[in-house]
Amino acid sequence: MEKLRQFARPTSYFVVLCLLSLGSYMPASRAAIISTEAVATANQIQIERNHLNQLFDRDNVKSYLRAQGVEPASMQARVDSLTDAEVHALASRLDEYPAGEGFGTLLTVAFLVFLTLLITDILGYTDIFPFVKKSAE
Amino acid sequence: MTIASKAARVFPCAFLIAGTLLTVGCAGTPQTNEILATRAGPKHSVELTDVPFFPQTAYQCGPAALATVLGSAGARITPEVLASQVYLPERRGSLQFELLAATRRHGYIPYVLEPRLDDVLNEVAAGTPVLVFQNLGLSWYPKWHYAVIVGFDLSRGEIVLRSGGEARHIVSMRVFERTWERGDFWAMVSMPPGRLPRTAEETSYVHAVLSLERLQRWQDVALAYDTALSRWPDNLVARIGLGNSRYALGDMPGAEAAYRRVTRDHPDAAVAFNNLAQVLADQGRLPEAEGAARQAVRLGGPMQEQYEDTLRQILARAREAYSG
Repeated sequence: MEKLRQFARPTSYFVVLCLLSLGSYMPASRAAIISTEAVATANQIQIERNHLNQLFDRDNVKSYLRAQGVEPASMQARVDSLTDAEVHALASRLDEYPAGEGFGTLLTVAFLVFLTLLITDILGYTDIFPFVKKSAE
Repeated sequence: MTIASKAARVFPCAFLIAGTLLTVGCAGTPQTNEILATRAGPKHSVELTDVPFFPQTAYQCGPAALATVLGSAGARITPEVLASQVYLPERRGSLQFELLAATRRHGYIPYVLEPRLDDVLNEVAAGTPVLVFQNLGLSWYPKWHYAVIVGFDLSRGEIVLRSGGEARHIVSMRVFERTWERGDFWAMVSMPPGRLPRTAEETSYVHAVLSLERLQRWQDVALAYDTALSRWPDNLVARIGLGNSRYALGDMPGAEAAYRRVTRDHPDAAVAFNNLAQVLADQGRLPEAEGAARQAVRLGGPMQEQYEDTLRQILARAREAYSG
């Protein structure tokens, strides 16, 4: 039940993404109209990208990154290169960690571990999260 | 049988019962505590006496509860009609998704509330009965139930529900919170398209309206988007949705007005220019259509290909028109 609630919102967005593949409901001659669903999905992804950018722009996150030996700018560049699906998966994961939302001055242990693994994954040292692309470097 | 062996049999049983009671009784009610302490929320006592009552039959609390909230929203409906839509005989109950889907099929907007008792009481105070999901039993021996909150009294710490066979089932807020918590704090309202839930959150509500589009109830959808825009005039999705639903209804001037409004409020929204181009082309205003389509292509974005497609189609039509 609890899991269901946590995944209800991201799942509904995923359903919207799937529905896109069903194509337009408009008759063929009017196919140029872009559906509300498509607009909502694109909008949502943009909101999630902004959310991620804001998160990695926070002072306490940046000092945490530097303490781990990671330059915040390179971190930002990596996040920028994530695909839409990866951004969505990452944002959904962050939803599970309350520290992600109300960051404040306290980083919980669980979120710290998550963030550390995420950083090392994005930098290519580890391979924990399937949604982070590991390109050959 | 000695007293000792008798006691040995009775004692563990009593211990188990006491333990269970202790666990259950000690379950905190933080939300009720906060509401009663601050009383900053809704007014002290409300009862929506006009909400219809449908006594439930057999296991069909889902259909009865849904008929109650839909009836209150204005639908002429009975639990029997809904039973075929939401009741699952093999499960002896209804799933929450089914309640949402049935609400949409009847032309109402289902909105799932935040898991806060405060929000629930606020909706009731605003005149909207709330359908809630409860576990009236224990977490390890559940008794699932749907009921409808129609009133509350903060001075007495009580909630009034239409529940099961009772038109006015009065329960303490603390007991309610415990049963509601075991149901994972699920609560929903069914709104007519022209009314917003008092506690509605912008994105969640617009997505709730969007979910009606698949049923192609364009009148209801258009009205719902319009209503949403009265509270959130800057919502891009709702504004595009309004244009799209008017377009689907064949209201070209209305659709054009909606898309134009987006291009003014969100000058970077390429999709608005794209859709505007299409509705202009449909009205035979090809030069204007071409201008809008070009603007969409210029602004670009993830749907670039579709914008270029629209432009190509318009240019093709223009060539036909001028060569014919």
